[in-house]
Amino acid sequence: MVVSRKLLFLLGPVAGIVMFIAVVWMATVFVGRNEYKDPYRAPAATADSTPRAEGVAAEKDEAEKKAQEKPYAEAEYRRFPVVGSRVAIWAVAQLHLLFAAFVLAVPIFAFIIEAIGYKTGDPRYDRLAHEFSRLLSVSFSLTATFGAFLTFMLIILYPKFTNYLMSVFSPTFLPYVLLFFAEAFFLYTYYYGWGKFHPLVHLGLGLGLNVVGTGIMMIANSWLTFMMSPSGVSSKGALISLTDAIYNYTWMPINVHRFIANIAFGGSIAAAYAAVKFLQAETDEERAHYDWMGYIGNFVAISAFLPLPFAGYWLAKEIYAYSQTLGLTMMGGAFSWLFIIQAVLIGNLFLAANYYLWLGMGRVEGAQPFQRFVKYLLAAIVLCFMIWATPRSIIATVSEVRAMGGSAHPVLGFLGVMSAKNTAVNILILTTFMSFLLYRRTGKVASVTWAKTGHALQLSIFAAAAFVVIFLGVYGYFVEASVRIGLSVPQVGAVLLAMVSITAIDIFLFRKPRNTGAVRWGRIPAISQYVLIFIAVTFTWLMGLMGYVRSGLRQHWHVYGIIRDNSPDAFTPTLGFATEVVSVTVLAFFLLIGFVFWIASLHDRPDFERGQSL
Amino acid sequence: MTVPHSVRIGALVLATTAFYGYVGQLVPQKEVQPPPEVAIRSDLTTADMVPVGREIMAGKGLCFTCHTIGKTGALRFPDLEGVDVRAKSRIPGLSDVEYLAQSMYEPDAYIVQGFNPGMPHINQPPISLTDQEILCVIAYLQTLGGTPTVTLRTTHRYNGGTAAPAPGAAPGGGAR
Ligand code: HEC
Ligand code: HEM
Repeated sequence: MVVSRKLLFLLGPVAGIVMFIAVVWMATVFVGRNEYKDPYRAPAATADSTPRAEGVAAEKDEAEKKAQEKPYAEAEYRRFPVVGSRVAIWAVAQLHLLFAAFVLAVPIFAFIIEAIGYKTGDPRYDRLAHEFSRLLSVSFSLTATFGAFLTFMLIILYPKFTNYLMSVFSPTFLPYVLLFFAEAFFLYTYYYGWGKFHPLVHLGLGLGLNVVGTGIMMIANSWLTFMMSPSGVSSKGALISLTDAIYNYTWMPINVHRFIANIAFGGSIAAAYAAVKFLQAETDEERAHYDWMGYIGNFVAISAFLPLPFAGYWLAKEIYAYSQTLGLTMMGGAFSWLFIIQAVLIGNLFLAANYYLWLGMGRVEGAQPFQRFVKYLLAAIVLCFMIWATPRSIIATVSEVRAMGGSAHPVLGFLGVMSAKNTAVNILILTTFMSFLLYRRTGKVASVTWAKTGHALQLSIFAAAAFVVIFLGVYGYFVEASVRIGLSVPQVGAVLLAMVSITAIDIFLFRKPRNTGAVRWGRIPAISQYVLIFIAVTFTWLMGLMGYVRSGLRQHWHVYGIIRDNSPDAFTPTLGFATEVVSVTVLAFFLLIGFVFWIASLHDRPDFERGQSL
Repeated sequence: MTVPHSVRIGALVLATTAFYGYVGQLVPQKEVQPPPEVAIRSDLTTADMVPVGREIMAGKGLCFTCHTIGKTGALRFPDLEGVDVRAKSRIPGLSDVEYLAQSMYEPDAYIVQGFNPGMPHINQPPISLTDQEILCVIAYLQTLGGTPTVTLRTTHRYNGGTAAPAPGAAPGGGAR
């Protein structure tokens, strides 16, 4: 029906115009009919004013005068509808921080990978780094958007307190903005300049990007650590020394803890990205590439993850050094159960990371002899995990404490004390490290002449470290508290020393290995890819939870011990509520990250052609 | 029919976050309110002050985050059982009231042997007990191994009083 189609084309606009005219006409008619008309009154000058009219006029004058005289009152707080100000700020800050961590993490990861590629001359690394940095520009804008959102929310909801923070930290804002410009410069030249410069120049841009990004993070960290452990101000809050306010007790530990955590976060998100691509891959070649990318991402994540507990304990130590009360609120008081949840998460991370490594052994021919070990490693991990998650001195109510005869549970308290926990964490780390070593050995045999001695040496170092850790852990039960606290240092020292020396030996041991089986990238069960995604989600959730403890720890203070929180949200919510908020924000984050992944994938899409179906 | 990967991935993300949210429900649920400002009535007798002091120690004073009463073993903080007996003889020349006040106003002036410094200044933020509240706490501490003697009018070095200045202490005291 070709004719009627043409007719329709003609009729459409005509019908539209007719309808438009009809509507205008109808509207005029109705408005005209119901229009308000002033009743007739005698001209104002001639009419006597009635008492009512006088009253109304007087009232109006008075209201106006009152409005003029009303003093300007500064609002201390404003309320956010429905969820309240605290939750609103919390969610926005959390999303901002997650994206910020991501934007800092991707360049660190890309830089490391690119440097490896430059060093080894293997172009795969360069391609991997380039592919991953494609996620940067969208997430950079999202970070900035959430940052602006957060700033507005702070000014709107907590005007007085925000003003205070600004009065202390105003000299840091301009450098912050300048660094932000530098960040944008490096970020875009790094990404768009890929392959356009000499590799070293390009690496230099990557380095600049990372240095500037870390600088930004450190400035922002000074604000939030000041709130937790203020220094450099008088007890009333007046600024005495900006340097001290910036360089407060927890600033450096948080800088370090976050920097390392960001590397791990970047690796885990890279691995999750690879996992998504692996699952969607259609060719073996793609699968091989993304399996390898996932492996590298996870490798970086776990390498950064291993030293993280040490940084965490340093942070905890500084919190105690700043204020025992704060430390005890954290580990023994209202927040102690939060650390049980943290233990569940970290245990899951260790377990999942090891599981992934074990699954990966299937990629290599001749890995069977190593897979035998796996069950022992698994047993060690589960045991350590249980010890670590054992609660100590959980103060629920005072009567409960009395019933327990003090602040430690009679049975659990024994396993839950610091020495047992430190021991468990250190063994967990050693075990995961062992998994790594086993993985490295699959499909290779050391061919150096001193191979036997080397292996024996490695094994004895490992055993010695485990012995030192366990011995000090047990010894801790028999000494005074002041001595016991110091014991964690040699424990950590032993583990670090063992990891460094064993790795060093390993490098020489496998200088020119004899290959007994090829690595068949892509030959890994699909479940391993879900494990990678699980690790990324768990990691993100952990960041959310720890962000909460960092800021919740202050309880009813904006700045601990100095500026009190007088808002209706000054109370500390239940952990159940806190974890719900964390869960919701993490979900929102992954929705947005899904969007970022999708935008990045548009790059690979064939261009749209006219005539193609939609 | 196979489920598309994107759906499975979404389900995994949802399940993981839901799981951790659920773990959060398993632990004890307690909402902590900021300490209320309670005015201490000025007509409390010594006997009235004891339970008030006990309550302050458990709540606003945060004492029991660190201290125990009647516990032995390798402790991190001194146990307070029988503290009044020790308080009388800790520092020659200081009465138990003076010593207990000192341990709260100026905790680092004397460190109990075997322990590290680390007790917060109780009259300063974040704990900020008032002079009145501290007197109540002293009343309770005196019951641990002794009989309470303080009243709300008792003075010591830290609340403007000069009662029994310690030898060598700043004359006329008054750290505040
Ligand atoms: C952050 C932990 C902490 C808190 C909270 C705390 N204390 Fe202490 N307290 C200590 C430490 C550590 C010592 C031992 C070091 C010293 O003598 O200063 C101590 C010592 C004492 C002593 C001396 C004991 C003796 O045998 O001589 C008394 C009394 C005391 N505290 C009372 C209190 C009271 C009352 C409160 C609450 C208002 C309180 N403490 C809150 C850590 C704490
Ligand atoms: C045991 C192994 C530990 C791991 C794997 C770990 C991991 C993490 C991770 C991933 C973050 C998020 C980092 C970020 O926001 O960029 C974090 C933050 C944090 N961690 Fe740890 N942590 C560990 C131990 C500890 C310990 C023992 C403490 C005790 C104080 C601690 C305190 C914190 C705090 C307060 C934050 C918040 C930092 C912030 O967001 O400002 N961590 N941790």
